[in-house]
Amino acid sequence: MPTGSPWTRRVWLSLAVVFLVLSLFLCLALGSTSISFGRVWDYLVGGAADDPAGVIFWQLRLPRVLLAFIVGACLATAGTILQGLLLNPLTDPYVTGVSSGAALGATIGIVVGLPAVPWLSLLALLGGGLALLLVYALGQRRGHLNIYVLLLAGVTLSQLLSAVISVLMVKAGEDLHALLYWIMGSFSARGWLEVEIALFALPLLAVPLFFARELDILLQGEQRALELGVDVERVKKILLVTAAALTAVAVSVSGIIGFVGLVIPHLARLVVGPRHRKVLALSLVLGAAIMGLSDLAARVAVAPSELPVGIVTTFFGAPLFVYLLRSRRRL
Amino acid sequence: MRMRSGDPREMRAGRSTGEAVRTSGVQYSGRSRGAALRRVRIWGATVAAMLVLVAALLAAVGCGTNQKATTPSASPARIAVTDDAGRAFTLQKPATRIVSLAPAQTEMVYAVGAGDRVVGVSDFCDYPQDAKDVDKVGDFANPNVEKIISLKPDLVLAASGVQSDAAARLDELNVPVVVLDPATLDGVFEDLEKLGLLVGEQAKAKALVDSLHAVAKDVETRISGRQRLKVFFEIYSKPLMTAGKGTLIEDLVRRAGGANIGSSAGVGYPEFSQEVLITEDPDVYIAVAGAQAEPGDIAKRPAYNQLTAVKEGRVFVIEDNLVVRSGPRALQGLRQIAAFLHPDAFEGSE
Repeated sequence: MPTGSPWTRRVWLSLAVVFLVLSLFLCLALGSTSISFGRVWDYLVGGAADDPAGVIFWQLRLPRVLLAFIVGACLATAGTILQGLLLNPLTDPYVTGVSSGAALGATIGIVVGLPAVPWLSLLALLGGGLALLLVYALGQRRGHLNIYVLLLAGVTLSQLLSAVISVLMVKAGEDLHALLYWIMGSFSARGWLEVEIALFALPLLAVPLFFARELDILLQGEQRALELGVDVERVKKILLVTAAALTAVAVSVSGIIGFVGLVIPHLARLVVGPRHRKVLALSLVLGAAIMGLSDLAARVAVAPSELPVGIVTTFFGAPLFVYLLRSRRRL
Repeated sequence: MRMRSGDPREMRAGRSTGEAVRTSGVQYSGRSRGAALRRVRIWGATVAAMLVLVAALLAAVGCGTNQKATTPSASPARIAVTDDAGRAFTLQKPATRIVSLAPAQTEMVYAVGAGDRVVGVSDFCDYPQDAKDVDKVGDFANPNVEKIISLKPDLVLAASGVQSDAAARLDELNVPVVVLDPATLDGVFEDLEKLGLLVGEQAKAKALVDSLHAVAKDVETRISGRQRLKVFFEIYSKPLMTAGKGTLIEDLVRRAGGANIGSSAGVGYPEFSQEVLITEDPDVYIAVAGAQAEPGDIAKRPAYNQLTAVKEGRVFVIEDNLVVRSGPRALQGLRQIAAFLHPDAFEGSE
């Protein structure tokens, strides 16, 4: 479906990239201590600094902002993929059950008493991966991956794992707090270690762009796509694993942050139309920028205290979603 | 019950009794009619007996539930206190069966010498050792109301906050609940005396409070005249959480000669920005360790090498129960904090 001249398309994407870079600088400059844009540039170019502001920048702010941007991009991309595969506009990245698997992994780490760094993130990643394998196996029917069965399996698994987590939480007693803070999405006290884990997601972000055309065709249904020569099974498998892996990485480093994976793809479609090549690119950019800005709000709104970033994303995402539901005739 | 065809001719035709016999009607022979009547009588007698039994049970149960404690109107109450929730509470005589719903309260009860009268404690009550052997009545937020009532307490001690609902429920069931939840050291002293009154151990309670007062006074003397130090009190590391306004920790830090940075972040236990921590640069850094937190190697955390406290080695770890439980052990916590802040003032003493 054409959305205007190629000129319009390029303008939107360029604007989006400018928006991304501006948000990045804004997030790096603002915080408990303000750092001018010029200083930000100096730090970025000059390398690790020794003065307190420089240390704050390199050790605390830069990794945190980078993490927010990466996680935002991961969740938005995963949401876009899943909304396309499932033909369901209400899909968020957590339907695959991967987030519950990650939460269970973290719970086990807390209950067993392992040091939080780096074990919680690694166990979460492991838990998410295992949940994905399970859900994938359940969705396989005679060599054919039934997405809806997989979705149901994911939802069921989420419920089951939540129950298991509740039991463990009751037994853990006082460790309960640790788990609650972990699950509640936050970038607080995250540093370069989490960024290193999140870097695994970067190559994954590029994968769906190679399948943008196939995603467009899949919008018309699997049967039609098969007729048009798309290797539907292969595409489904690759995209599903990518989406789940992106979600697992995001959850393992920052807990469960809602609304970004659900709303950003719709925002992107609102701006550039439904063609996946543009939607994926814009989702990535918008997801990163908006997550970064949400974390900025979480950091400064109640300083010196901090809000959990999930509250900020829900606070802005929910009314936005309602607006989208009302304004568009068809999502 | 054997049913016979009404037609004797069919019988004479030689059908065995095992065959199914289709008849248009059923008639009972004289012998089986008597048997049927007997069965009806037995059935009727059984039902009547059951009704009598059920009625008796109901009567017994009804009598049981009517045995609630009622305040006699004639004699005046001998023990009257106002609890921390502002409610007036009266007891006819010192409590003999005590249930405590929170660890701090348990410690207070044992400290005033009424430990032998404790019949129920929460799952988390682990101090003193004896408390671990007492019947458990559930966790902090959801105590098992049935269990509590089954223990027939004449005094239930509750904290405020999350326990308010449970306390209200117990109140409705006419269980004697007292809320003792001090937020400051002065509050601890007051509540220990109230508790002494409630359990009839006023002398012991007074002696305890006097000795604890002495500890606090000793700390005050040792650090008098010294400059107030900036203190950051870490409750949890990921996210970074601190003790804010209105907490016992804030009171202890103040009495130990410190200024609690966390108070600027709000009440209770708020999250705290790492960036602000580095900028504020406290003189002393104290982290709690215990069931809920494992600080690990604090000095190695990102950007912490900028902190004066880290550079000068003034990073300390304290047991969480000494500063979070508002009971007699808070004085130990106070002493430890003061020793962290001014080690030279406490050299040579225990």
